[in-house]
Amino acid sequence: MGKLTIPFAMLAVLITVSVTFAKDHPGREYMEKNGYNGPATCEECHPGVAREFLDTVHWKHASKVTNVDNIDPEQEYGMKNREYTFCNGNDIVNNLKETPRNSEGKSKFTGCNTCHPGDPGDELHGVGSTGPAAEASIDCLVCHSSDYDFRLRKPVKDDKGRVIMGQDRTVKAALAVARPSAKNCMTCHESAGGGAYVKRGFLFTRENDAHAARGMVCVDCHKTRKHKIPTGFDPNNWANDGVRLACADCHGQSPHKDTHINMHTDRIACQTCHIPRTGGAFSKDFTRWTKQRDGFYEPTTLNKEANETTPVFAWYNGAVANTPRFIGPKGSRDDKKSRIYPFKVYQAKAYYNKLDGNLLSMDFAPPMATGDTLAGVASAAKTLGIKKYEPVPGWQTIYLASSHLVTRTKALSCENCHAPNGVLNFRALGYTEIETEKLTTPSIFFEEYVKRHAEKDDW
Amino acid sequence: MRKALSAALTFTLITLAVVSFSRVAHADETKMLGVITKIDCTGKDAKTATVLLKDNKSGNMVSITVNDDLTLDKFKDHRIVEGDEIRCKYETKDGKTVSTYFRKTAGC
Repeated sequence: MGKLTIPFAMLAVLITVSVTFAKDHPGREYMEKNGYNGPATCEECHPGVAREFLDTVHWKHASKVTNVDNIDPEQEYGMKNREYTFCNGNDIVNNLKETPRNSEGKSKFTGCNTCHPGDPGDELHGVGSTGPAAEASIDCLVCHSSDYDFRLRKPVKDDKGRVIMGQDRTVKAALAVARPSAKNCMTCHESAGGGAYVKRGFLFTRENDAHAARGMVCVDCHKTRKHKIPTGFDPNNWANDGVRLACADCHGQSPHKDTHINMHTDRIACQTCHIPRTGGAFSKDFTRWTKQRDGFYEPTTLNKEANETTPVFAWYNGAVANTPRFIGPKGSRDDKKSRIYPFKVYQAKAYYNKLDGNLLSMDFAPPMATGDTLAGVASAAKTLGIKKYEPVPGWQTIYLASSHLVTRTKALSCENCHAPNGVLNFRALGYTEIETEKLTTPSIFFEEYVKRHAEKDDW
Repeated sequence: MRKALSAALTFTLITLAVVSFSRVAHADETKMLGVITKIDCTGKDAKTATVLLKDNKSGNMVSITVNDDLTLDKFKDHRIVEGDEIRCKYETKDGKTVSTYFRKTAGC
């Protein structure tokens, strides 16, 4: 044995021991001895995080919004209070409650704020609440545990008759603290808007997304600091933590080996080529709910699976047009900040107030039990203090961003756009007839395509 | 006699052809809406589960094998539990009914 053998052996043991301990949460011993008491336990080592979390979109379900027309920049907007037709309800009018009994004598719990990491049934602990009681009610483990028992996260009635949300605060769940996985995020985000994959229609799986195929999870892109989670500029996703993310953050502005493709990135967003499909609900009718087999009603919904819908394309500079009938991207070819992005177009029917033209929101509990949609409108109007209204049906169009279902192998290629009746409608995007004629012929890419494929197609 | 035999043979061949083509045209995938009455998914590392669904239409019990990781994960952490209503598509492979689509019907 050489002189260095023993030190190297000791080093190997040290590394092994370090790696072993690195897998265990440092608070393990404390929790095994003292149990888990919610955020108070986490704060033993992470002081101040509960208060920090109360200032985020995940807690408040709202934020100040600076890029959307026709709203007060000093107010906060989000799932808490918005009125738009993907859901037609919000945390205020559709707060967690028990429905009336349906025709079969059954009732159930329903509410927008079931996806709240606190106690949505109580104003002391619910959406946007602050103070020690609110801090104590945070469900840290629903995002941070890899072994959460979701049987415990169900709405129940407490001894005062309030509907509250249960939590898994067992030591077992606490000992499984880990970096949030896709599962932690998808617990809520998968079922947004009325069911699995309904709102965004994206399956974050190896088969459907290039990032998932590389073993990445949500927080690899949505890199979180102090619970502030970066988001993109979805025209329909207004609330934000003030931090943004974009493909270029990791991939740079010139990510392709081919410089001709890199020339596109100034005016064409990455998503346009790399997310050629979308999915999920494309239309709903909140004026007509459909009875389900269990005797409850749901809004009549037209739905597609992931990758079943072709997006529409529009110029977008990050600013959002917002009217009672339309929520969507602003931008143009002439605006140098604009790029062409893909969107899922969603159109839904709901009730508008004939007296002022504004959209009326809906409390889901009455129509869920009986199908009576106007009872839902009346309940919401009462909650909001709207005394005079005349409900008339009308349609709203919403453009939803398409930022997941990323593909490399099925990305659009030259011939998809640079052809007559191709993916992009150049005339609608503001190109002249002569420009469109030039853009929709293979002459624009022929030679480069031959060179590029000469290597690949060498038989 | 020969003519009768010839006719019988022709008739038999045609019948066999019709039956064969009928088998080729048979649908491979079945879809159903039902309520979970039992989930058999043992252990954190289980690679397969057996679920008993009560068909809403017929009331019959259908035993489904589930192999996809996403759904198995939901069984393990109880995001899907007994009593949940499910939309399911399945196909029969080697005598087993294997799920190709398994999703809760409930919304928000």
